[in-house]
Amino acid sequence: MKTYELFIGPQHVGITGNFSVILELEGNVVKKATPNPGFLHRGFEKLMEMRGFIHNVPIVCRICVPDPDPNEANYAMAVEKLLGIEPPPRAKYIRTIVLEFSRIASHLFTFGGHAGSIGLYTIPNWTISDRDFILDLFEMLTGGRVYHIFIYPGGVRRDLPDGFIEKAKDVLNYLEKRLDDYNKLYFDSYMFKKRARGIGIINKEDAIEWGVTGPNLRASGVKADTRKDDPYAAYGELDFEIPVLTGGDAYDRIMIRRMEVVESIKIIRQALDNIPDGPIREKVPNPMRFIVPPGDAYVKVESSKGEYGYYMVSNGKDKPYRVYIRGASMTHGIHILEKLLPGNYLADVSQIMFSLDVCPPEIDR
Amino acid sequence: MLFLYNIIIVPIIAILIGLLFLGIARKVTARIHRRYGPPVIQPYFDTLKLLTKEDNITHGVMYMLGPAIGIAGSLLTLFFIPIGKYALFSMHGDLILVLYLGVIGSLGMALGAGDSGNPNAAIGVSRGLSLMLSYEFPLVLAIVGVILKYNTTSISAIIQKQVTSGWWAIFVIPLSALVFDIALQGILGEKPFDIPIAPHEINSGPMVEYGGKYLGMLQIFASLHLFTELALFVDLFLGGGANIITFSLKMLVVFLLAIFINAIMPRFRMDQAFKFYWKWPAILGLISLIFVFI
Repeated sequence: MKTYELFIGPQHVGITGNFSVILELEGNVVKKATPNPGFLHRGFEKLMEMRGFIHNVPIVCRICVPDPDPNEANYAMAVEKLLGIEPPPRAKYIRTIVLEFSRIASHLFTFGGHAGSIGLYTIPNWTISDRDFILDLFEMLTGGRVYHIFIYPGGVRRDLPDGFIEKAKDVLNYLEKRLDDYNKLYFDSYMFKKRARGIGIINKEDAIEWGVTGPNLRASGVKADTRKDDPYAAYGELDFEIPVLTGGDAYDRIMIRRMEVVESIKIIRQALDNIPDGPIREKVPNPMRFIVPPGDAYVKVESSKGEYGYYMVSNGKDKPYRVYIRGASMTHGIHILEKLLPGNYLADVSQIMFSLDVCPPEIDR
Repeated sequence: MLFLYNIIIVPIIAILIGLLFLGIARKVTARIHRRYGPPVIQPYFDTLKLLTKEDNITHGVMYMLGPAIGIAGSLLTLFFIPIGKYALFSMHGDLILVLYLGVIGSLGMALGAGDSGNPNAAIGVSRGLSLMLSYEFPLVLAIVGVILKYNTTSISAIIQKQVTSGWWAIFVIPLSALVFDIALQGILGEKPFDIPIAPHEINSGPMVEYGGKYLGMLQIFASLHLFTELALFVDLFLGGGANIITFSLKMLVVFLLAIFINAIMPRFRMDQAFKFYWKWPAILGLISLIFVFI
């Protein structure tokens, strides 16, 4: 049978961001898939070597647009590790709140993307509008809606403003109520199960071998989460569960995110209730001459896409010698997509991509 | 003279009402999405704007002829369907003729899209034809049910019998009406059967290379197609209409049902849609036929 080539490029509706996949199709079935990033290379890692430690903070949040805060937290933690300082407890709690809100916002984006890819356009409209309430909170706290540039080495930039806790609780209650609506239309829908069950299965052994992380790994039945295994920020002091599913298909990868939203709401509630008083910043060197002692540090956090890692080398100057970023989507978007797509129908290509929650800027750092 | 007058007035009514319905669909869907949506008359502006554009690029003769064949096929179908008090070409066997003519419009669009040379359009066309193969079987079962029930193949006679008996066919043979309505979802290309134009899979499929006045013509074709199929449903199952107002209101009810289903359903995959159509609506249609025989 004759094969033909189909280009699903950055302008295509069914792609997750600035990214492209070249498909080789035989009739309706994918024979070969070649993910092709490179539309978005902004040279983050090299840029960071040319700027001071404090000047890198506005850069790192650009590495993942829907979920910027894990990058900021990760960068700040790496610098703190090199400096040998620890942020004050209140700063840790504020970081946790910001990180979890960012996770919810990113998961809402993913629900919208996946529902759109199977043709249910009501859900994207709903989730994007609900996500706006979280962005309002970010604006109140940090001044920015998308990029917050909020988590600095040594702490956070601002304290919680007046009325923030009440407003945040209102938003959480609202989101919880909306989750029921999503259930009725999307998560419990017969058609969603019919479309997503058994599509793009990653089994447990492959998931570990291929380096899958985050929700995608937990959907394959491995209980691994940096928040529990290697607690950072205030996660060690809070009580939450790590949901695990065993199917490993597109359906489970979406459902695990839905469970995580519930857990995130739980975490934020606890953090808002138990937030300690105190300073929000540790003393750090003068921003104009931010000198970090020589050494290297690897710090990891759990983003909504998977495990993030920053490896930072300092040679005792005011600029990092090298920063290496491990983005979770590098694995999911390139290697896994290449392995999962062949054998699937063209109709399911977009769905698999969205269920893996690929964030292309993480691939092109 | 009146006949010639009607031949001009009916297509204009059909296009205006069809475009209005497209606008209503956008508005209703937007409200379900919690958006405001465009004004109801937006499709009029869109179509007029598209028709005034000049064509800079072409992909061959069929690419240009396709929309014209589509409109011609839909118009031809329209003349055989009684709309309110307008029944232009009414005769014995026109229901069967309508079944044949109804396909011409879609085939015209398929020909034009296939000539555009884009793989997405080609996949969309092949999907569209497979979908047609899927829904034609239950559709024919439903129509055969109506023909057997009223013992005639003339749409005007079917309307007449419904009006004189006082019972619309939807109450007499509800299963056939249901089967027709499920098939209608596929004919109109609404979810869960909007497989040929799936944006996330094949970038809106057949229309992907169309633009300018050809897209405007496709818009007109879409409105005519919508009007024709809804009119057929109203004639066969809702007893036609005394005038164009009641007729369009009945059509609007049927259309709103399709729009609501469209807004809350994900899309089937092609193989799932085929299996669905040849399973549930087919079984229901056969059961309905048995009831009609008894």
